[in-house]
Amino acid sequence: MSRKEALSQFINQIHGRPVAVKLNNGVDYRGVLACLDGYMNIALDQTEEYVNGQLKNKYGDAFIRGNNVLYISTQKRRV
Amino acid sequence: MTAVPPPANISTLMPLELVDKCIGSRIHIIMKNDKEMVGTLLGFDDFVNMLLDDVTEYENTPDGRRITKLDQILLNGNNITMLVPGGELAE
Repeated sequence: MSRKEALSQFINQIHGRPVAVKLNNGVDYRGVLACLDGYMNIALDQTEEYVNGQLKNKYGDAFIRGNNVLYISTQKRRV
Repeated sequence: MTAVPPPANISTLMPLELVDKCIGSRIHIIMKNDKEMVGTLLGFDDFVNMLLDDVTEYENTPDGRRITKLDQILLNGNNITMLVPGGELAE
């Protein structure tokens, strides 16, 4: 039970897709998901760093340590 | 010496069974840091990381409440404090 499969399916599905990652400190990273593991460590391509909703920085490649990750979101909708 | 089994006529529900029952319906998640999420629960794992659809994020900041709409999210279970079945904010 508990639909763990739904989570693994989501993880497989978002590989190579644009995602938004929010950290516990409120900073947002948008980029193409290159890699994700069980710790929620994340590698992003074409990363944009948003602080308070404003673009602050761009990185070609970025690694995010999983303990900082609040959520990983697909990027269809925005406000 | 042995553990006393619960009376058979009382139906017990393990905490995570309650969450399991919420799969497919709206759920309200209260987080550690003045943050709340409302979304449709698609699944969760042993760490209570949660997969949510059609999410609204409510952040209580000093300048007031900030609302963010999100599509589908994989929410880290680390900062979750409470899960409330049913989507509406109780206010």
